[in-house]
Amino acid sequence: MARKPATYRPRRLVLRDGREVTLRAITEADAPAIQRAFDRLSADSRYQRFLHHKKQLSPEALERGVHPQPGQAFAFVATVPRREGFDVVGAAQYVRAAAGNARTCEFAITLAEDWRGSGLARELLASLLRRARRDGYAVMMGLVLADNEPMLALARKLKFALEPSSEGSAVVRVVRTLATGEP
Amino acid sequence: MDRPWLAQYPAGVPAQIDVDAYASLKDMLVASCVRYAELPAYSSMGTALTFRQLDEASRAFAAWLQKVARLQRGDRVAIMLPNLLQYPVALFGILRAGLVVVNVNPLYTARELTHQLNDSGAAAIVVLENFAHTLAQVIGSTSVRTVVTTQVGDLLPPFKRLLTNAVVKHVKKLVPPWRLDAAVDFRQALAAGRGRTFDEVTLGHDDLAFLQYTGGTTGVAKGAMLSHGNMVANVLQVAAWIGPGMKDGAETLVIPLPLYHVFALTGALSFFSTGTQTVLVANPRDMPAFIQALKGSRLSAIIGVNTLFRALLDAPGFAEVDLSRLKLAVAGGMAVQQAVAQRWKRATGVPLVEGYGLTESAPVAIANPIDIPEWSGGIGVPVPSTEAAILDSDGQPLPPGDVGEIALRGPQVMKGYWNRPGDTAQVLRADGWLRTGDMGTMDERGSFRLTDRKKDMIVVSGFKVFPNEIEDVLAMHPGVLEAAVIGVADERSGEAVKAVVVRKAPTLTEADLLDHCRLHLTGYKVPRIVEFRSEPLPKTNIGKILRRELRDAVPAKASSPAPTEPA
Repeated sequence: MARKPATYRPRRLVLRDGREVTLRAITEADAPAIQRAFDRLSADSRYQRFLHHKKQLSPEALERGVHPQPGQAFAFVATVPRREGFDVVGAAQYVRAAAGNARTCEFAITLAEDWRGSGLARELLASLLRRARRDGYAVMMGLVLADNEPMLALARKLKFALEPSSEGSAVVRVVRTLATGEP
Repeated sequence: MDRPWLAQYPAGVPAQIDVDAYASLKDMLVASCVRYAELPAYSSMGTALTFRQLDEASRAFAAWLQKVARLQRGDRVAIMLPNLLQYPVALFGILRAGLVVVNVNPLYTARELTHQLNDSGAAAIVVLENFAHTLAQVIGSTSVRTVVTTQVGDLLPPFKRLLTNAVVKHVKKLVPPWRLDAAVDFRQALAAGRGRTFDEVTLGHDDLAFLQYTGGTTGVAKGAMLSHGNMVANVLQVAAWIGPGMKDGAETLVIPLPLYHVFALTGALSFFSTGTQTVLVANPRDMPAFIQALKGSRLSAIIGVNTLFRALLDAPGFAEVDLSRLKLAVAGGMAVQQAVAQRWKRATGVPLVEGYGLTESAPVAIANPIDIPEWSGGIGVPVPSTEAAILDSDGQPLPPGDVGEIALRGPQVMKGYWNRPGDTAQVLRADGWLRTGDMGTMDERGSFRLTDRKKDMIVVSGFKVFPNEIEDVLAMHPGVLEAAVIGVADERSGEAVKAVVVRKAPTLTEADLLDHCRLHLTGYKVPRIVEFRSEPLPKTNIGKILRRELRDAVPAKASSPAPTEPA
């Protein structure tokens, strides 16, 4: 499936607590900001994102992350201005799930600690759903820690089904079809 | 709410307990000291302390804390002691002075101790000299300003005391050198306290009694706030549960589980409240000494975990222990293995009675009736004044037989986690239900069974280990590229910690890594098995680890594309 490189017009969002962010596709210029955002994440957040203790982002992983392969992966970042440049306060990404299944993608959402509960995660995930559908995917899935209540609640709100995962009770698989014609 | 389990209560066990019988745990303990004054309360190494002596010594210690150390009501005081006579004296003294007890595992490393002292904001600590070197390393970076040190034999009669302390120090060489400026000797503190007037403190159900630390998924231990009301409730609940089988003031309990473990703590206090003599075993791994203590005790009850019962059954000399008075063997903290339960019943004639609870519920919430003829394989039914339910992922109750999360409600459920409202909100609902993170079922009769856990957690001999903490420590080693920790089944400890490691330095050995772990982790958390892999750990394409694949001994061939893990 040949696709055009990802294009996405930046969008200004006003969150329900009044704070404003810019939502846009990730670019390679985001690498330093992603690194800073990772360094600030709590052990809790890192565990939720990677399902294990993650000390650092390897340069290779960072490099891959800011260069999503069109059609294979996509990432949104939510940014806020800082004195010089900007900070990344949230990210949502999808990656094609497995070699054998070209129509299913896996997602992950990461939020800076003080942006939880702001409604940003919902904006990110909703945007990601639309994007994955436009990119031709039929199913989006993700693995979520069973005690990550806010993420599970959000998945339910966005019509994901919650299923047991092959990882045991500690991890829930959330899955949703991406029917065309949905908002 | 329907309580089908009440029909299973043995005769004499009430459906409700009267939490208002005592205003505080302190009042309850003092009342027992008065009621059973001349009876032996605790014994250790062949020496007993009567309820009256305990009353007197704990009052002296409380006076010292109040008047000499000048601690203020609500201040936190850490206890870093194994099961010695000093433990109940320190515990009761701290509670009587209106202070909050922070139990510390004496085997903690400097790293673990620092976290607990700082998180609790402990102002004082009572520490056994054998472990003072750990405290000395970290005290400068904590808020602790009062240190009381004690030697193993400090509350034994004079000759025995000197002999024991000399043997521990000079023969067994169990006291690494330490230096703590301004540390006060426990015996001196008691002597000074005897000369002071103690001001009685009035405490109520909402006053905090304990910050009882329990691991968290992120590897950071959290302090469960157990109030005097929580503790009064659970002590009464357990006492009511065992009441029909036990005779007031006539029983002997052997407690080999460390009292800093909440299951041992509340269990022992329940027996204490009914005038039982408690035989303290300081180190159950020293099997000859443990067997010796059992032989001298004519025990009628014992509290332990599966690992310990198993070790006893295997121990030379256990067959000669007089168990003719044994009525009750309580197991908690971890799942009991069927083989151990069967062997125990055959060897002693008494079934293992399994109970269930969490630090967050002080801890006993569900237990098997003590009159069961055989080990049931389940965790039992809710204890008096306790509700339990099985909830689905939306928090709605499920019908009998369905697997869901066990939730608990009752007067023993904690007030929350110390200084962690976010974590509290995750487990404690506004309507009082505590979500346990344990998965299980309830049948029509109200009996509960455990099936699985919702949390990434490993239980080693009744102690919780969270993978994240161990992974964090492994990642601190410069020779480690990545590491993940899982629990694997283990005959002896129920589960064992296994580390799967990808090396950065090809020269890194298992011994290097274990030395590093021992420096930062208490023994039970140190991986028992280390597996080195030459390929990256298995992850989904977006970078989430697949622990299930780690359980295979043989690393799978890398067939998936390189993981992507940005943002």
